[in-house]
Amino acid sequence: MKAFEWTNPSSVGEAVKMLGVSTPGDIDEAPRPIAGGQDLLTTIKDYTSRPVRVVNLKNIRGLNQIKVSGRGLTIGALVTLSELEEHADVRKSFPGLVEAVHSIATPQIRNLGTVGGNLCQRPRCWYFRLEEVNCLKKGGSECYAANGENKYNAIIGGGPSYIVHPSDLAPMLLALGASVTVVGAKGKRTVPLDKFFTLPSEGNIRRENVLKNEEIITEIVVPSSPVAAHSTYLKFKERESLDFALASAAVAVQLGDNREVKDARIVLGGVAPIPWRVPAAEKFVTGKSLTPEVLAETAKIALAEARPLEKNAYKVPLAQTLVRRALAKAGA
Amino acid sequence: MQQQQPQAQPSPSPKPKKKVRVPKVVNGVEQMVEIEVDADAGPGWGPNDKHKLLNQRYTRVDGPLKATGVAKYTYDQRLPGMLYARVLRSPHAHARVTKLDTDDASKIPGVKAIIPAPLTEVRFAGAPVAAVAATTPEIAGDALRAIKVTYEVLPHVVHAHHAIRPDAPKVLADENNLAEKAKNGDAQKAEAAFATADAIVEGEYFTARIHHVCLETHGMVVDYRGGDTATIYASTQGTFTIHEDAAKELGLPINAVTTTVEHMGGGFGSKFGLGLEGLLACRLSKQTQSPVKLMFTRYDEFVMAGNRSGSWQKLKAGVKNDGTIVALQARQYRLGGVGQGSQAGQPFIYRMGDTYREVYALHTNEDSSIAMRAPGFPQASFAVETLVDELAYKIKMDPVEFRKKNLRDEVYHRQLERGAREIGWSRRNPVAGGNTGPLKRGMGCAVGTWGGGGNNQCKVDVTISRDGSVLVAVGTQDLGTGTRTYTRAIVAEELGLGIKDVKERIGNSKLGAANPSGGSTTAPSLSPSVKDAAIKARMLMAERVAPLLGNPKPEEVLFADATVSANSRTLSWQQAVAALPAAGITSHGEWRADLQARGIHGVCFAEVEVDVETGHVKPIKMVHIQDGGLPLNRLTMESQINGGMIQSLGMALWEGRVMDAQLGMMLNPGMGDYKVPGSLEMPEMVPLIDDEDKREAVIGIAEGCIIPALGALANAVFNATGVRVRETPITPDKILMGLMNSTVLSRQ
Repeated sequence: MKAFEWTNPSSVGEAVKMLGVSTPGDIDEAPRPIAGGQDLLTTIKDYTSRPVRVVNLKNIRGLNQIKVSGRGLTIGALVTLSELEEHADVRKSFPGLVEAVHSIATPQIRNLGTVGGNLCQRPRCWYFRLEEVNCLKKGGSECYAANGENKYNAIIGGGPSYIVHPSDLAPMLLALGASVTVVGAKGKRTVPLDKFFTLPSEGNIRRENVLKNEEIITEIVVPSSPVAAHSTYLKFKERESLDFALASAAVAVQLGDNREVKDARIVLGGVAPIPWRVPAAEKFVTGKSLTPEVLAETAKIALAEARPLEKNAYKVPLAQTLVRRALAKAGA
Repeated sequence: MQQQQPQAQPSPSPKPKKKVRVPKVVNGVEQMVEIEVDADAGPGWGPNDKHKLLNQRYTRVDGPLKATGVAKYTYDQRLPGMLYARVLRSPHAHARVTKLDTDDASKIPGVKAIIPAPLTEVRFAGAPVAAVAATTPEIAGDALRAIKVTYEVLPHVVHAHHAIRPDAPKVLADENNLAEKAKNGDAQKAEAAFATADAIVEGEYFTARIHHVCLETHGMVVDYRGGDTATIYASTQGTFTIHEDAAKELGLPINAVTTTVEHMGGGFGSKFGLGLEGLLACRLSKQTQSPVKLMFTRYDEFVMAGNRSGSWQKLKAGVKNDGTIVALQARQYRLGGVGQGSQAGQPFIYRMGDTYREVYALHTNEDSSIAMRAPGFPQASFAVETLVDELAYKIKMDPVEFRKKNLRDEVYHRQLERGAREIGWSRRNPVAGGNTGPLKRGMGCAVGTWGGGGNNQCKVDVTISRDGSVLVAVGTQDLGTGTRTYTRAIVAEELGLGIKDVKERIGNSKLGAANPSGGSTTAPSLSPSVKDAAIKARMLMAERVAPLLGNPKPEEVLFADATVSANSRTLSWQQAVAALPAAGITSHGEWRADLQARGIHGVCFAEVEVDVETGHVKPIKMVHIQDGGLPLNRLTMESQINGGMIQSLGMALWEGRVMDAQLGMMLNPGMGDYKVPGSLEMPEMVPLIDDEDKREAVIGIAEGCIIPALGALANAVFNATGVRVRETPITPDKILMGLMNSTVLSRQ
């Protein structure tokens, strides 16, 4: 762990200012905000990030509330994963969200980790996490996963980096049409989640989202929608006790009078550098009843774009299974 | 207890003998033979079902200390003025260190010493290059990053299938990557025997290199401040394996160095001797004349603290339709990195007719494998148990019956029958993958053996004081296996006391000698010496109290229920000890061969449920039956059996070291990516002690318990899915790929 300055802002504005100091060094030396610290500390210990300053957000009041209204759900960025998981209204109206939170890490980590932090966590790719490896995402010239040990890497949307996005909340929130409120030097802006995450081929290769160094998420807004009640999250872990997704499926549907699908959101996790929405599959299933044949075909379409690497072709049938099962469950 | 009863008059010569069964292995086939040993060394343990403490269930005496965090491990040592050491590791798998520039590092405030590692040519990524001692571990870490190392990078190879190529970079200076180590059997006879077979199975089997994952990492605290003596706090499996080399490093006489091992957090074969960590700590301590603590980080632990040898085995076996295996050819590669690796010779414990094997070391630029719980045995067992299973399915014979047919020792037969009952073998679908629906249940089984005999190294003292306290002292170490507890229990039982009435002192090289804990030798080496000391203490005390009891012979004095009695007179313990001299009495115990034995048998059955649409394997139930002579403590023996099953389960389904060919590094050196199973992975576990083993002798069982589960689980996965995965760990990707294309093995 490299020595850093610790600061304790009491307002969002102050935090943004403290994050905004320009640093001459590498992007990974820029000040970083800390909330639960469950991911940031691991990256600091690995020297993957070496911030000159760590800005503690925990003293900022008002960012740890869950508000429920007719308009939907507003989740403060500092709400812990446990608080979200245990919230009565969330449990009642957003079953998929509860399943997604519950699938994360361990009870201890969920007690400290925050919703904002979960969305902003860095990739788990082992090449990225090893201090000795200077991979593409750390300013190097090569994605070692592309031709290396890529069992856990992306099958969709990869290149030039083949990370997968590690968040379990992100696919589910995306399926629920959520957006994040971002505050930066120029004030507040709202970013729909489908515009928040960036592919390595389109955004800054050193980052996974649109946040600038001095920007922080203050809240996550999940609109009320007819699909929320029929939402589900299926995550496949190699090790149930503690693991990231090898693949996951976040599904939310609205059913018609004859139990046909009126609206569907299908988002894949663990298979792409961002939570991967599959509009073609959503479109296919819309208007249909969820027969085994329809489920199978929807799953097939959802993975049609997959281009596996040498060691992760198994993710295609795995993700297909998850889509099929999640759709069946949501539509049950 | 038998030994408490009056002894028969000593018979005249010839010396009484007793018969002991020991295993003898001929060409991979184990047979039990009876040998005669002297029976006159003193009273024995008595029948296994007549004990008051031993062979019962009693909790560990150090359990509360560990559960409450009071127990002090090496990791917990904090001495005044202590420095913290860290090790700089090579990022290159093969390189020569041409320059070590420590100027900037040594200028960091708090850095007290920087020393180079002993070797300048590194042959694996993670190999030590230098070590730093500083006032805090953080400063030591900063100093590591400030050391500028110039490397001459040399070509490396880390994957076995690359290393075997003739043009591969050479790993070692003095041995080819592929080095023949042994040949056994007659190749031509084996080849000819295949002609008599009705069916043949040929396959290649791999086991990944795995790690010990000791919860306390390797390390020591060397307390030397420039005086005449030094103390070493060590996390070690051998109290007496350290001070000699440490003294050499410190420039002190051997007896000036004391090693202490109060509690230690797991070794599994990986913690013997001073080790590189101890050597560096000694040198830093000597240079700074301050206590130095060098504990590996978790990363260090993975990359430079050793691992279990991987294996690659090419097997071909022929079988007759009646179930007789007639021939085996084996080509076995031990994957030990820069070390020699380990792998038991095939056909392991099966009888396979005409057999021929060639054993090779196949080197890669990886940290040397070292001993790990039953070195080389789970690897050989996995391959041969998979092969045996394949042969059984091929001729459509029940795998349990097939094993019995090819195992001569009847102990396995009865254990297989019991295991089959316990797991419910009759519920199993004999058609692999034959169950309907995506969640498919399957069962498998396997067998295992180990030696577990002791040796003559332990010197034990038992002291009974006039205040009634009893102390048993020996320098041995408790790895978490319950050594403290049974040491007390043996003495308590002999003296007719409760376990709380005896205290033990262990883990100090100034106490009586003891063997290092390797090869399941601790209990069979230590417990006879403890028993001997306890019997002698009883006799000494009996002589002292005899006048109060009407002068019986010492062996006629009964010690039971905290009383001492003879001739219908009874003394309480406190009354009895009042007869002792002021200094109390001390007896000295030596090892007795007749109180231990060797040769154990174990059988494991596993039931799994495989989701064939995700490849997820859920272990449902595991049953392991283990013999082991006299169980010193049924509770800890069951714990050992459970622990063996759990470690084997980890090896079967999750654990494996992943190496990158290009970078030459380990990619998963942490608890996140190196996936040790957690509580949610645990099946119902049924540890069974085979009480039909009537041997009145202590035998080490720890290693036997880890051997068969791996094969049992692999065979259960096959039975469930019809996919034969011949490579551990059996992860979802392999199962899904196996289902997608039949290259793994055609479905039955």
